[in-house]
Amino acid sequence: MDFILQSLVIGLTENAPLVLAAIGFALLYKLTGLINVAYSETITLGAYFGMWLNTTYGLDFYTVLIPAGLLAGVVSLVTYLVLFRPAKRRNVGGLEMIIISFGLSIFLRHALQFVFGYPERFFDVPPPDTIMLFGVGVTSFRLLALASVAVISLLLWLFIQRTSYGLQMRALASDEALAKVSGIRPLAVTMLVWAIAGVAGGMAGAFYGVGTSVSPLLGWRQFLLILMVALVGRNWGLGGVIAVGICTSVALVAMALQFDQALYAQLVLIVIFIVILKVRGSRLAETAKV
Amino acid sequence: MVADTVSAVAPARPQIRIQGVVKSYAGRVVVNIDDTVLGASPIEGLIGPNGAGKTTLMRLIMHSTALDRGTISLLPPTGGEVVLSSQSSNRMAHHGVVKSNQVIMDFDRLTVLDSLLLAAAEGTYEQPHRIFSEKTVYRRHKDEIRHYLDFFGFADPTAFALSAGEKKLLDIVRCLLLKPTFLLLDEPTAGLPEDLTDKVMVVVRELAAAGTSVVIVEHDLNVIWNLCDEVLFMAEGSVILRGDPQSIRSHRTVVEKYLGEGHV
Amino acid sequence: MTFDFLDSFLITGLFSVVMVTGLALLLHLQLGLTRIANFGVVGFWGIGMYVFGVLYVKVDWSFGDPYQFLVCAAIATIASGLAGLLVGWLIADLDTDGVLVVTLGFATAVQLVATAQDDITGGARGMGGLDFPFDIGKVKDNELLWLGFTMAVVAGILFYVWRVHRSPYGRHLIAVGANERLARSLGKSTSRTKLWLFVIASAAMGLLGAMNGVMVRFLDIGNLGIDITLAAMAGLILGGTARVWGAVVGVFLTVGVFDIVIQSYLPLPREWYTQAIPVMREAIFGLTLIIVLLFRPYGILGDMRRDSLMRKIHGR
Repeated sequence: MDFILQSLVIGLTENAPLVLAAIGFALLYKLTGLINVAYSETITLGAYFGMWLNTTYGLDFYTVLIPAGLLAGVVSLVTYLVLFRPAKRRNVGGLEMIIISFGLSIFLRHALQFVFGYPERFFDVPPPDTIMLFGVGVTSFRLLALASVAVISLLLWLFIQRTSYGLQMRALASDEALAKVSGIRPLAVTMLVWAIAGVAGGMAGAFYGVGTSVSPLLGWRQFLLILMVALVGRNWGLGGVIAVGICTSVALVAMALQFDQALYAQLVLIVIFIVILKVRGSRLAETAKV
Repeated sequence: MVADTVSAVAPARPQIRIQGVVKSYAGRVVVNIDDTVLGASPIEGLIGPNGAGKTTLMRLIMHSTALDRGTISLLPPTGGEVVLSSQSSNRMAHHGVVKSNQVIMDFDRLTVLDSLLLAAAEGTYEQPHRIFSEKTVYRRHKDEIRHYLDFFGFADPTAFALSAGEKKLLDIVRCLLLKPTFLLLDEPTAGLPEDLTDKVMVVVRELAAAGTSVVIVEHDLNVIWNLCDEVLFMAEGSVILRGDPQSIRSHRTVVEKYLGEGHV
Repeated sequence: MTFDFLDSFLITGLFSVVMVTGLALLLHLQLGLTRIANFGVVGFWGIGMYVFGVLYVKVDWSFGDPYQFLVCAAIATIASGLAGLLVGWLIADLDTDGVLVVTLGFATAVQLVATAQDDITGGARGMGGLDFPFDIGKVKDNELLWLGFTMAVVAGILFYVWRVHRSPYGRHLIAVGANERLARSLGKSTSRTKLWLFVIASAAMGLLGAMNGVMVRFLDIGNLGIDITLAAMAGLILGGTARVWGAVVGVFLTVGVFDIVIQSYLPLPREWYTQAIPVMREAIFGLTLIIVLLFRPYGILGDMRRDSLMRKIHGR
């Protein structure tokens, strides 16, 4: 029982940003059908923007969280307008699109070092208090991160499920031609989704960054996990992505507590996700048309 | 009833038996066939209004679309039974069951000659270590390839198939090179000029005379009335009528549902 | 004959060009012909390198070089081939998205295992003790001879790829890449094709990994990042994914420019070489992928020309 509680508390508080990042990624994937590898750099840049605002202007973390997210959202939107939209208009194939996004990811990851410098950077935040929760010590900071992620996720979910913009997004994702006929402006809605995904990724990055350190590989290290959570969870909609994200977070910590090596936890998760994709892929291949 | 006759006498040519097959998309039943045997006559025509499930039925036979229920099996003339619906789609050609495509399908990076050599080449020559087998494959198949190229009048086999008509013909020739024993043709002459349509019909007749069972879906009814020994009429996913072309042509239901009054 | 103009920087640069060319040629079979984007090149290469290194250093062989090298390299090649069998089976019926996840996941898994099993692999501390399977005098001479051997292996791969274009197997691969469904309807077992393609390409990548291990003589998990996959992909795409010589041309223009021209011939300030240039190298490789795929998707050499090839082989 202790073990389960421990896993739950640590898993949820430590890996809360994963859920947020996965929501943003899945949103973009659902609408555009594109696996945007450069999403990992949206996350990284969120961390860098947060760190930069925090250390340059001496603002505290919660003040910089929103601006950092917004800046990452702007970057995400710009990559759409400057790169992915022209590429789509040139009828670049799906395989090439993935490689382009991979190229962009690599480019941003290294180019940002010329702006922010090569060494690891850190947020300048006061040392957090430790709060006992079900007998597990959790820093006040991580608890707040969990709460913020929960609130942001809920807001996003409400936005998509309850507002007219959300309805337009869902309509566009399921049938572009039909959506156009129904008077939806695809460009506006698509831009909105890229921006929202960027904001979610950027905030997740800021949380990751303040928890540990800010480095060029920050987003890339999380990318595979985010990708897998989004791909496996998307069959059950946004709720599925959140659920799979939470399960993954808890499972990671539970396994890390069981094995002495945290790396094996990741390894086991990768294997599980690949097996799920394989099983599902075989079924898809059978039922596809033509 | 049909089952008894089939098991009693081994068929002279391969037949395909469709039993209890149901396929639906999003709750709408597209194909629902209780028990039908295809291939009893040399050339059978499959007609029916749009959405009757003709193309879907063919895809189900090729197992490029999965069945919801039922079995489809091949009854070779030598006896026995091969359940097609439990095998993967690439196995169909090995059993001699081959289908031409309704929509234009092509390998856009391969030339006409490439495409035909690909269809003709045996699997053993396509293994990763057989990097010197091109000449062998060419020698083995160049005569039959040349025969079809000349017959259909392909100008330059080392060029790409450009027009829709050429691609359609190429699709049919690929099927022929697979040496089918059971050939399904899904609108083979759509988009072809009249002289080529006639040539396709000639080839199909030759093939049927040599023992291949042919099932043909076609909207050009002249092809059906001229070519087929038996015609099956499909509507709403089921085969409702079958008989010789004359009787189908004048049947009241067919006229009402499909041909229209002025057609007879 | 003297090789005075060849200093150790130049030999290292040439070696990395040859190595990446080999990987890019193998990637060409997967990405260029069969249109499978293998993002896990480093995984197969790394398995070859680490299996070789661990066997060579940690196992007490009763025989010496060159047999020790040959046995270890053979086992490393087989190990990578088996990894290819597994990955090939996993991706056989997945779409591009699935292939990305599986190959990336595989490469990450290899990195994780090499890091976690640090009592065997040395982990982040690295592992020394590797050496050339011969000794002909100075280190430079040994390196030069090893460069020659590696060139011979890569030339062999180039010849194989060149023959594949002129064989039924190559046609089959192109067909699977262009229209898998149609290929299946012609009786081609496309899943088995992908499986064997991955076995062969991965085994060769593993052999190159082992040969790299000999050259660097020190294994470091830093090598297991995305860099080598990126270099192979950027070179291949710049040169032309669909052409035999695309990998050769492209890798010379990417890795060659950075690791030979900039490394050995440009009079740049010394402190740039430690951080600015390596970072710039990766950034430019990334940019290369974007620009080429946007404006000239088939690279410098353009798309394959089956029509002229067929004319050349079979006449009109």
